[in-house]
Amino acid sequence: MYQQLSNLSDKELISRARKLKDREAEGVLLERYSHLMVAVCLPYLKKNPGTGAQTVFPQLLQRLSNGLKIQSIQKANEWVHQTIKTYFAQPEKQVPYYPSRESRDRLHTENRVEKAANNTIEKQALIAQVKTAIAKLGNDDRYLMEQFYLENKTFADLAAQKGTTVDKIRNQLKKAKSRLATQLTN
Amino acid sequence: MPNNTIHNENEKLLKIFAGIRCLNKDQLPRYLEGRLTDVEKHLVEQHLVDCDLCAEALLALQQEGLMEQYPSLSSGIQQYIRDSIKPVSQVHKMEHYARKVKQRESMLIYFWLAAFILGGGALLFGLSQYSSRKPAAARTAVPVVAASVASPAPPPAVVPVDSTQLLQSSHKPAALSAAANPATPAPVIPAVKKDTVKAAPAVKKPVVDSAAKKPPVAAPKPPDSSKKAADKPKDNTAVAAKPTAKDTPAAQITKNKEKENDNDNKPKTGANAAPAAAPATSGKVDTDEYLYKAAMVYQQHGDLDEAISRYKHLSSVNNSRVGEMARYQMAVCYRSKGQMGKAKRMFKEVVRINGTMKQAAQQALDNM
Repeated sequence: MYQQLSNLSDKELISRARKLKDREAEGVLLERYSHLMVAVCLPYLKKNPGTGAQTVFPQLLQRLSNGLKIQSIQKANEWVHQTIKTYFAQPEKQVPYYPSRESRDRLHTENRVEKAANNTIEKQALIAQVKTAIAKLGNDDRYLMEQFYLENKTFADLAAQKGTTVDKIRNQLKKAKSRLATQLTN
Repeated sequence: MPNNTIHNENEKLLKIFAGIRCLNKDQLPRYLEGRLTDVEKHLVEQHLVDCDLCAEALLALQQEGLMEQYPSLSSGIQQYIRDSIKPVSQVHKMEHYARKVKQRESMLIYFWLAAFILGGGALLFGLSQYSSRKPAAARTAVPVVAASVASPAPPPAVVPVDSTQLLQSSHKPAALSAAANPATPAPVIPAVKKDTVKAAPAVKKPVVDSAAKKPPVAAPKPPDSSKKAADKPKDNTAVAAKPTAKDTPAAQITKNKEKENDNDNKPKTGANAAPAAAPATSGKVDTDEYLYKAAMVYQQHGDLDEAISRYKHLSSVNNSRVGEMARYQMAVCYRSKGQMGKAKRMFKEVVRINGTMKQAAQQALDNM
């Protein structure tokens, strides 16, 4: 059963946990993001030596478990990230997860691409739209997008070319992609 | 070739918005250590463009001293999740199982309840069917007498003998006989002629027949029973009876009426039988026709045995047209069943009855 559940997507696990009250599905979903949770929490734990991992992680997991039952979750990774952020920013307050505008645009475009996977006409129309949207981007963004997605350059390569850090390249690519998604959505 | 490159470029354009999963437990340290293949690395970096969680995790693990804590904490939290989920899950499963068992039990209870109700309903239906048939048989028994009343074949020799016996046996006063049937003014009205009373034995015949069966026993009874009923209207009827006793034809008529009263001591008031003979026969005919039609329905539905039994019943209690028809249909049923001997016998019987179905029966016999 555990093996079968671990093969399911986040969406299916969330659906099972919510509709069927499947605790195993909930466990598999939380376990899928547990290592990332630990990695993200480590700097906070280091900064606040008073808060032990034995108290932080159970509380966080409880908060995630509660949120899973009542919140509408489109992207599990964003939900987990936001929950961790709000937990450390406001430990007493439970802030509900709500996806940003950029995130929703990205999700919408991703869904369109997924749906057009087997529809050639739709696919061609989408490709034409993406080309037009890329052409509308700024030169720097367009260059980065083309180098990263079409030329398969790594963050490190692009950072070396531009003479910046990997994190900055990633952020720039993220913004360019969000602009692209916004153009395609509107 | 250029087409292929264009096609690949187009596919790569769509790859920008491809949904890629977060880094798993294995990929995270491998990416940090640079132990991923080019394709895998590119996929991870494509995902990192979108995913803040993974990007922040990687950034955190690149800090000094944190990578050492990561494996132990990661395995610890996984164990914690498994421990906290499993017992709950087990309890949940047990609850689910218990609920299923309960559901099954309740379903069984519902099933037995439904079966009991259905059984009870069937029993009631059977009883009602049985009771509805039983009165039908009783009803047929009564009209048989009435039918024999209506049948135009009275043995004339019996009539005088019985009437004399009755005359002898019925010494009770006319007032009492009239009192037994206060509602019917029959004793006075038909007393117009002596001859007509004698010449019309057809109406009185049932009285005669039944009286002939048990004349002496029935005679002493009526005074007792009729006395009880006659208490109330005695005065009125006595006045009416006095003139009848004076003239002889009227006396004879009253005697005849007494005969009727004698017969009616048993189940029903026989005085009513004479005027009620006609409606009784018509009712009987109706019942027989209904029974006949019901048997026809069974025959049409192919239930020949049931149809034959019903026809038999009809033919045994009825000699009239319905009986003849029933015999004919019974013969047809036998023929359908392949019992030719019985069918022939029945057809012959119908021919012997010499009724309306004679020709058809003869034809059927010829064809067999």
